[in-house]
Amino acid sequence: MTSDFFYPQPGGVESHIYQLATKLRDRGHKVIIITHSYQTRHGVRYLTNGLKVYYVPFFVIYRESTFPTVFSFFPIFRNIIIRENIEIVHGHASMSSLCHEAILHARTMGLRTCFTDHSLFGFSDAGSILANKLLKFTLSDVDHVICVSHTCKENTVLRAALDPSMVSVIPNAVVAENFKPDPNAASKTHITIVVISRLFYNKGTDLLVAAIPRICELHPSVHFIIAGSGPKAIDLEQMLEKHMLQDRVSMLGPVRHEEVRDVMVRGHIYLHPSLTEAFGTVLVEAASCGLYVVCTRVGGIPEVLPSHMTVFARPEEDDLVNATSRAIKEIRMGRVRTDKFHEQVKSMYSWTDVAERTERVYEGICRGERVGLMERLKRYYGCGVWAGKLFVLCVVVDYLIWVLLEFLFPRSNIDIARGWPRKATRIGEGSTRRDRSRRREEVLVEEENVRN
Amino acid sequence: MPLHMPAPTPHRLSPPRLTTPTTDITNPAWAQQNPLPIDHRPPRAPSPRPPTNTTTTNASSSSAPRIKKRKPWRKLLWVKQDYPDNWVDPTFLSQLQRNINVHPYDFYSLVADSTVIVQHLSSVVIFVTSFIAMFKERVSPVSVALVSTALTVAGWVVWDMGWEKREKVVRGIREHRRRGNGSGSGGGVNGSGGVSPGVGLGLEMSGRGESGGGGSGGDGGSYFPPCPSPPPSQERGAADGSSGASAPDSPVKKHRTDPLDAGDNTSTSTATTTTTASTTTTADAEADRKSQDEQSYILREQRSRRLKTAKSTLLIYFTLLGLSPILRSLTGSITDDSIWAIATWLFLANTLSFDYGSGVEVKFPASLSTNAAITSSVVLASRLPSEGDLPPNTAHVFSLILTSIQVFGLFPVFRRYLKHVSWGLHVCLTVVLVLGAAGGLGAVVGWGWAVVWVLGVVGGMGGCGWWLIGLQKYKNEIHGPWDPARPVIRRQWE
Repeated sequence: MTSDFFYPQPGGVESHIYQLATKLRDRGHKVIIITHSYQTRHGVRYLTNGLKVYYVPFFVIYRESTFPTVFSFFPIFRNIIIRENIEIVHGHASMSSLCHEAILHARTMGLRTCFTDHSLFGFSDAGSILANKLLKFTLSDVDHVICVSHTCKENTVLRAALDPSMVSVIPNAVVAENFKPDPNAASKTHITIVVISRLFYNKGTDLLVAAIPRICELHPSVHFIIAGSGPKAIDLEQMLEKHMLQDRVSMLGPVRHEEVRDVMVRGHIYLHPSLTEAFGTVLVEAASCGLYVVCTRVGGIPEVLPSHMTVFARPEEDDLVNATSRAIKEIRMGRVRTDKFHEQVKSMYSWTDVAERTERVYEGICRGERVGLMERLKRYYGCGVWAGKLFVLCVVVDYLIWVLLEFLFPRSNIDIARGWPRKATRIGEGSTRRDRSRRREEVLVEEENVRN
Repeated sequence: MPLHMPAPTPHRLSPPRLTTPTTDITNPAWAQQNPLPIDHRPPRAPSPRPPTNTTTTNASSSSAPRIKKRKPWRKLLWVKQDYPDNWVDPTFLSQLQRNINVHPYDFYSLVADSTVIVQHLSSVVIFVTSFIAMFKERVSPVSVALVSTALTVAGWVVWDMGWEKREKVVRGIREHRRRGNGSGSGGGVNGSGGVSPGVGLGLEMSGRGESGGGGSGGDGGSYFPPCPSPPPSQERGAADGSSGASAPDSPVKKHRTDPLDAGDNTSTSTATTTTTASTTTTADAEADRKSQDEQSYILREQRSRRLKTAKSTLLIYFTLLGLSPILRSLTGSITDDSIWAIATWLFLANTLSFDYGSGVEVKFPASLSTNAAITSSVVLASRLPSEGDLPPNTAHVFSLILTSIQVFGLFPVFRRYLKHVSWGLHVCLTVVLVLGAAGGLGAVVGWGWAVVWVLGVVGGMGGCGWWLIGLQKYKNEIHGPWDPARPVIRRQWE
């Protein structure tokens, strides 16, 4: 299995990979993660539960994405794959070039591949067109695709021109134990609205900036807690100064994922004004903490939570204010049983369930017959008038590189890594610092198989 | 639970095309087994066979026995459904929208819009042909300059007559913007009263207009339809007897205090009348003053404007006259071939970068275009035959550059104005220009070329419009719930 972004960088994809890998390990699979090296972290590391992570040195260009070199990753990737006896490569996140390369090379080496898409893309701007073409390239020859929501599936099927039956929908999950409600933490006297999001345009911070003063004006007893950082933080602060709301809106700045729960339980309502969202794990986390959720009806958000936990708004300032007012009223009247949310969410989403469903996908793709080089070339050729030929060229070169590597570094000379002993005592984090470069980007290569 | 396999031979989904409306991707039946057209791809080999039975150990709902009559599938993630993860429901992609933002073009409006381009091309052709005529010494440069100057002066007279109207447009736009901001800021400051300044201003405007039109006040006042110019601060200044030269800052704020001041001064309104009544009466009185004031204001403006125009005309004229010898010899040492190439490229740059879209409110559109054309004429000027070596005769250089300034600097302004004022005149001007260019081509190059030119213009106008409409069928915009939403925000501050 292959995946994309990983710790130490925090984020939804990262925790998805970690949780999924852990649960798959618990189910008896061997899982390793390949990512690009981070500033403080490179080489091989074992996480505390024996999860092995390869931090491969790579040049990072933008937002933790590596520079797409197509072929340069192949030698080390092949080495890792052979060392670890990998059978399935599972890539995560369409913005990671490491993931795309891993899938390409894995197919060249005749492995099974799977891809999980975590994000939504439009079809209009140049960046999306390029990303979609790249996605089409990778997904032309992949065994199965997993999407985190039905909307995401529709999007991916359109973007990569896939057969919809080879796309499964497996949502994200939360570790419900980490998001327990605390009825005593929230203020009894006034209602607190929590906002936790990176402060970017696509997270709807502009809506937030416009809505907060109006909500504060309508409801004099409402307080806000805003956590997160980003380029739009300055707008928020300007708004606070302009409307003198410093004593009612507290900005916490960036918050670590472990602390999110402690922030959430201080509030009654979670406000999520995002403009696009494939799944919105944070909504589930908030509901799990017993917060009433006010969110915009965009992307996959309407699929995530049942209607008694959420108030939906259109992504408009007026409607957001109305929806928040409705939520405040409901909370004041005590009509929402937020205390029951935690148990409900716990029964809805669990990583064990996700791992089980993912495992089923793996079983499915292992059953399919292997595809020859010519068949693969045919698939790539169909990608487009010009792109198809370019893709075919890439695949042929990749194949030749593979043959060359088999000749230069024969399989027999590569040692097989020993697996992490089951139920062993904790050894701690071992790291072999072989890699020099301090770059980030990631791929988690996880392998399933080896049922011991 | 087995993975779902809807079609016996799975296929790749080709992106929806407008040209193939029969393969409607939004058709619910599609997801089941309608064979889809395959764009370039060979059919995909059967996907991996899904497991027929599960080996799940956990007792979650996944291995529930299949019920005969299943509940309908719902597009939700939080509920455990008795469907496989890769289930393709008939509602799949039902929210897909295509080409919602596309508005079909109308052929005749496209042709009408292309007249602007034709006008500019024609004026370039006219200029080039007149240069060739000078170059071949078939026309005297001075006569060309005289003709173009006469036309320019005539155009200026027309343009000057329409100055007030144009000013109104410009000021109206500015006022509109400012009012938008003003009301917005008002809303931000005191919440509920946010809309009132704007509305109040609008009412007052209309009231003023009526009284101005039917009332006693104005010899000239009725001529001007209601407009928020000049800014209220000036009216007030005039009413107080001062010079009326106070700075027009923040008209909205001024305006709010306006009715009170006016009420004090004119004493027509009593303290007992309601606010609305006082507003209307003051508007009446105001209109009187306003019309007189506006009249004098306009006259004053007109005089100073004409003086300014005359001054800058003379300045340009004499500067050009003085520079002519230098300009003549500036590119004299460059070979003919280079000159023709440079001039061609500069005219191309002029045509391509010309601002075809802007209206009358733009003061200096597309400076690159204008500069390219004038540079081109400077370059060309050195090729004109100079009679008599000493002292060098610079009349032709002067004439050519003067003509180019008129054709490329001033004429576009006039064309914009004419289009704004009257569509009929605009069409007439277009026809005249095309025929003039044809005449120039005929006289200088050959009548065959003139015919080709006219046919090319007509064919181009029709053909390009038709082509653009024909290309619309390839338009394929996809919208759906995955698109980032556009936030709707009422701007509260700038």
